[in-house]
Amino acid sequence: MTHAAAMRAPAGREMGAGVYNEKLGIWVFLGSEVMFFTALIGSYIILRFANPGAFAHPGKVLNIPITAINTFLLICSSVTMVKAFAAANMGDMGKMKLYLVATTLIGASFVGVQVYEYLHLIHAGFLPSGIREGSELAELAVAGELGLGSADPAVAGVYGSSFYTMTGFHGFHVTCGVVCMAYVTIKAFRGKYTQADHRGIEVVGLYWHFVDLVWIILFTIVYLV
Amino acid sequence: MTSVAAAADHAHHGETHELSFVRKYVFSTDHKVIGIQFLLMSLVFLFVGGLLAMLIRWQLGFPNEPIPGGAALPETMAPGGILLPEFYNSLVTMHGTFMIFFAIMPLLVGVFGNYLIPLKIGAPDMAFPRLNMWSFWVAVPAGILMLSGFFVEGGHAAAGWTSYAPLSAVSEYTGVSAGQKIWLLSIAILGLSSILGATNYITTVVQLRAPGMTWFRLPLSIWALFITAILVLLAIPILSGAAIMLFFDQTLGTHFFDPAGGGQPLLWQHLFWYFGHPEVYILILPAMGMVSDIIANGSRKPVFGYHSMVFAIIAIAFLGWIVWGHHMFQSGMNPRLGTGFMISTLLIAVPSAIKTFNWMGTMWLGSLRFHVPMLHAISFVAMFVIGGLSGMFMASTPVDIYIHDTYFIVAHIHYVLFGGSLFAIFGAVTYWYPKMFGRLMNPFWGKVHWLLTFVFFNCTFFPMHTLGVYGHMRRIYDPTQYEFLQPLMGINRFITISAFLLFASQIIFVVNFVMGWFRGARAGENPWEDNGLEWTVPSPPPHGNFATVPTVHHGPYEYSAPGVVEDYLPQNRPLPDGAGRDAR
Amino acid sequence: MTDMQASQAAHEEHFAHPNYWVVWAALAALTLVELGVAFLPWPRAVVVLILVVMAVWKAVLVALYFMHLRFEANRMRIFALAPLPLAVIIVIAVMTEFIW
Repeated sequence: MTHAAAMRAPAGREMGAGVYNEKLGIWVFLGSEVMFFTALIGSYIILRFANPGAFAHPGKVLNIPITAINTFLLICSSVTMVKAFAAANMGDMGKMKLYLVATTLIGASFVGVQVYEYLHLIHAGFLPSGIREGSELAELAVAGELGLGSADPAVAGVYGSSFYTMTGFHGFHVTCGVVCMAYVTIKAFRGKYTQADHRGIEVVGLYWHFVDLVWIILFTIVYLV
Repeated sequence: MTSVAAAADHAHHGETHELSFVRKYVFSTDHKVIGIQFLLMSLVFLFVGGLLAMLIRWQLGFPNEPIPGGAALPETMAPGGILLPEFYNSLVTMHGTFMIFFAIMPLLVGVFGNYLIPLKIGAPDMAFPRLNMWSFWVAVPAGILMLSGFFVEGGHAAAGWTSYAPLSAVSEYTGVSAGQKIWLLSIAILGLSSILGATNYITTVVQLRAPGMTWFRLPLSIWALFITAILVLLAIPILSGAAIMLFFDQTLGTHFFDPAGGGQPLLWQHLFWYFGHPEVYILILPAMGMVSDIIANGSRKPVFGYHSMVFAIIAIAFLGWIVWGHHMFQSGMNPRLGTGFMISTLLIAVPSAIKTFNWMGTMWLGSLRFHVPMLHAISFVAMFVIGGLSGMFMASTPVDIYIHDTYFIVAHIHYVLFGGSLFAIFGAVTYWYPKMFGRLMNPFWGKVHWLLTFVFFNCTFFPMHTLGVYGHMRRIYDPTQYEFLQPLMGINRFITISAFLLFASQIIFVVNFVMGWFRGARAGENPWEDNGLEWTVPSPPPHGNFATVPTVHHGPYEYSAPGVVEDYLPQNRPLPDGAGRDAR
Repeated sequence: MTDMQASQAAHEEHFAHPNYWVVWAALAALTLVELGVAFLPWPRAVVVLILVVMAVWKAVLVALYFMHLRFEANRMRIFALAPLPLAVIIVIAVMTEFIW
């Protein structure tokens, strides 16, 4: 057997996970990502139980309509991603390239909208350290409009902390995904993927779906709850 | 036959291109080179950790007296050679940090995971060789960054290696600002290195085993490294997340662990120890695995109860996730939760005990060879038993309420980490040194090193049990400030002198290690007459490891097998009756 | 990327492809329903429970159909499922600090 062939699971008696190395590798890596987001999201859930009054009612601080559309966009990008993979599987390289471009663009838009939202929130006075004194939101807090536990805006310290950390790291992961997606798309246009071997598409795809999955959870428990 | 020759040629086609020195030895993707790189890096940090310990012991043995030559230390650390209390706090913090994250973990997981896994499963390299290279080269900047913390304003992190908030979160409490941030960043970067490594190890063990290398024919060292990799994969990200939140508390004014802003200090402890307890099994399981291999070899007998050994490793890994609260019995956490943790912690002693009895059963009536690795492996078992027994006291919440944060804990830690992990490391380095470098370390000096280390280790750490029960607390700069501790200063002095002698004895190991490269007896393929696949290839093995992919016929512990002339039988040679079989 | 590795990849992956647009429609519909439920005047605990269930449902759809877990061998699925109990344990355990 060649050196290269020995680098894959031996044939005959089926050993290994039944998939190629890179696919197992990305799933294993995603396991670590689950634990990473568990630390961040788990902490948010815990802090919310510990201090419910620190968190505003849904929609009072965060913009639900825009984020709902953004969520829908990310879901669409997951569809285009898996369609790209399916196209490669079926041998339709043209469609694959199209769907890859769509995924990259939609993914980039998601990040763009998130950045826009962040700027908006910071301007209104919502910071990682909580609600900025003297800001628009601080006045609403004092007037009791936000649904916080007390009229003192400082109570919302953990609200800002958890919001920005969770969504920020999610956004960072999406950004990395967009970069990888762009790389894969360029490779696709260079003709590096075939019906026989398009492992890179599947691997990036799995990462992309994971990032979408995390957002699905985040949107609900951060924006709607 | 021609296809084999073609295969051999193909396997080495990388060499015919003659890689540059940098590609071959610096940015190598060969798991063996990377393993040795981790070895050299970790030994440096082991030395640094030891040096910090010497400073700690000086203060405890000879409080407030100037260190000989201490005038060389900066005024911010030790004016006139007398350690400042603030510097002492960073010493205890950084001793733990360097030893755990930059010495023991990389030694066990980075060195032996990398070196042994592909060789012992019959693979040419890891599943992702380039990722492996990144794993090492991400760890190096983390280490350099961690070292730099000593030289910033305010000094290095000083909130303990456990970095509890709010002490670690608010710089006014410790006077440390940049140092703590450096600590957190370094840990986060090192975490990335570990996660990439774990991904590689897991994929490799699952996918690249040679034909015939079924799960129950894997050596226990590989089982242990595989399970450890899973623990690393799932536990380290928790620490990364927590460290990031703490970092934000310090730099962005977030309030995760700050009560004033609605945060919870206990959240840090829970997150840290949810990582921290699997971490201690990461620090012991690979040692246990390698000790099993060495003891079987030194006894010329199969490991007693191979299957129960495997299930014990898995049980330890499983249970290890639900015991973390035993580090927090004194924290004020929910007592009901505490009860649960007490039960699970008492339970986890069982699989460890199974392993201990199995090691003894392996040696029983064996044809014992007391080579240097065997001496270290036997010491591991004995010292680990002591460490495990003290652990039983801590598992019991009412007892722990008394001994928590005393030197009883420090004794336990060092019996399992030094008496356990480090002895296993000394044994493993000696054992696989000939495979790595093609020469043997000097056995006489190896035995001298072992004996001195064993004696001085026990002299240093056993008395700490006594100190702890007397009420001597941890991390304390000047015990004499308390009248009730003053009678203990004699013991402290004894410990300090033993510690200095222990540290000095390590010079023998270092000299033996280095001299071995130049003057060591040349090693053949299989100097220990072991059954592992790595002993069927040259020392050191060529790039690609195996000229032809090996076929495995049986388990790794066919020592003294009936019908075989020698008292060992490598895994790629069939049994006399031609039958294949699992490890027994 | 040799021929051997490529053919191995092809050999393994004769995929079942579900109708991805149907899954997309389900995800979109669930999202819309969530938006509705979030503002219903029901007891907060009930609303939150329904929202969390729906979010998990959407996540499971993505995992099963987009990430192909529905069609993978058990040996592969184990890697995907393994971290989940650990995520649950830490959250539940620490929550008991505040609600038990």
